[in-house]
Amino acid sequence: MVSQPDLSVNIGGLKIKNPVITASGTFGYGNELIPFYDPSLLGVIIVKGLSIQPMPGNPPPRIIETPCGLLNAIGLANIGIETFIEEKLPSLVKIKTPIITNIYGHSIKEYAEMAKRIESVDRIAAIEINISCPNVEKGGMAFGTDPDAAARVTDQVVKNTTKPVIVKLTPNVTDVSIIAKAVESAGAQAISVTNTFLGMAVDVATRQPKLTNIIGGLSGPAIKPMALYLVHKVVTNVKIPVIGVGGIMDYQDALEFIIVGASAIQVGTANFINPKTAIDIVRDLTDYCLKEKVSNINQIIGSLKTNGENYEKSGDKKNK
Amino acid sequence: MNEVLEETVSIKFNRQIGKDTWLMGFRSDNLASLAKPGQFLMVHLGRTTKDPLLRRPFSIHRIQDKNQLMLLYKIVGKGTLLLSCLKEDDSISVIGPLGNGFTISKPHEKTLLIAGGMGVAPLFFLAQSLNKVQKQKITMFLGFTTSQEVILINELKDLNIDLSLTTEDGSLGITGIVTDLLDEYLDRELNSKPVIYACGPILMLKKVAQMAIASNLRCYVSLEGHMACSLGICQGCAVKANNNKNKPYYYVCQDGPVFSSEMIDWQVM
Repeated sequence: MVSQPDLSVNIGGLKIKNPVITASGTFGYGNELIPFYDPSLLGVIIVKGLSIQPMPGNPPPRIIETPCGLLNAIGLANIGIETFIEEKLPSLVKIKTPIITNIYGHSIKEYAEMAKRIESVDRIAAIEINISCPNVEKGGMAFGTDPDAAARVTDQVVKNTTKPVIVKLTPNVTDVSIIAKAVESAGAQAISVTNTFLGMAVDVATRQPKLTNIIGGLSGPAIKPMALYLVHKVVTNVKIPVIGVGGIMDYQDALEFIIVGASAIQVGTANFINPKTAIDIVRDLTDYCLKEKVSNINQIIGSLKTNGENYEKSGDKKNK
Repeated sequence: MNEVLEETVSIKFNRQIGKDTWLMGFRSDNLASLAKPGQFLMVHLGRTTKDPLLRRPFSIHRIQDKNQLMLLYKIVGKGTLLLSCLKEDDSISVIGPLGNGFTISKPHEKTLLIAGGMGVAPLFFLAQSLNKVQKQKITMFLGFTTSQEVILINELKDLNIDLSLTTEDGSLGITGIVTDLLDEYLDRELNSKPVIYACGPILMLKKVAQMAIASNLRCYVSLEGHMACSLGICQGCAVKANNNKNKPYYYVCQDGPVFSSEMIDWQVM
């Protein structure tokens, strides 16, 4: 019998059995897709972004499809961290895989408070900080577009938890590597690249924006090349692990991110179309490794073959 | 949560039955046995298709011969245009049955169905089910813009429905819109406390709901929503709740698509 390839990877101190993670906001509070498969088979599940107080979300329409893409302005509708911990988390007892909460705060103090609250909850393995949501008025994105603010949020969360801290970056900046380096210096153990790209759609008949929020965040296959580029840019500039996110629909998309240097990947919009996407990717990555005689997936991470100097490297030379 | 399945089904027929209007049929023992009137399916043209990207929600229009499900749809965009190009033996991926479905009225209750345009789709399945339990004849108001769009008249008459047809341009049936008929109906039937079921354009539903609320009648409306997942995850298909402190928005996919009329904040519609 051929031995199974080792798909386990390490995300800033969190060892996970495979590199396939569900992206925040596309997997509900953890048990919505149980009718389709056992989430225990995934590397990690990241649940819907949480804030201190429940948030109602934006007035509809909140989503619009664009070619190969999904434009959304949900507005971080969520039940609040306390309700999640008290009511939802206990029902996830049967899921034998780490759970990461994605947190969003209106102020640095709120991020710190949530980190403190999560610290006492054993079931939550790590924290992903959302400093990149484009769809709320005092958007988390404000923290994600300024390197100093991004560093301060990261610093406050890191100081209030012993759990690994992952920072999810926005693509809506001039140079994502500056933000990436800032949060790395502030103590982030991993970085998720990327959140949705700002976008719009207009109804030409009414001349009104198709989203009530006017602007939204674009996800889906339309953004994959741009997300891949940003991952390339970030891995070239930081030493901490990077999680690739953006338009991943199948194992080949996942491999592109892994080859570029992502230590793990998140499946987002694809969960909406084929609920089994994430688990299909786990299966297909295993088959790929068997076929290509890759005994350990870490052998492929960052195995991109380029000729000559990497032009995306900025600042000091990175030690490989 | 109700049982939900994903199935790849083979199309038995897909034919045009009216202006831009198509009827598609496929067989599924599992879906047919689970489905209730008012529930819907999410349809995807094929795993590798990235444009259109998302599944499209369609209410279950009809079930016949025990396991044949039918979808009734109008070509309104790329997704439905491509759907209309599919032929017999082509396959589609279907998730369902989804949503809550209609609450069936009691056998002695008078029942009024109000359909605007494609709103007839789920009400046909409802009429099929009501027919099995109802002791009273079902009344239906069915409205279209023009005679070219009129469909299903004979099929509905076969269900022994007392049918009134309207067209806005007067090219067939009564000139006007379905809600015009409601005033007169309520004058006549208010004392018998009819149960109203409605599906159609949002402004039609608003009018029906507000009239039902004013007359203190039970009224169920089936809503549409822009949805990505249909499983309560994306929270895209929000609809403003009326006076619910715990829940500012309902989600059409999970809390609906059928809502009792007083649940919805019609002011913002």
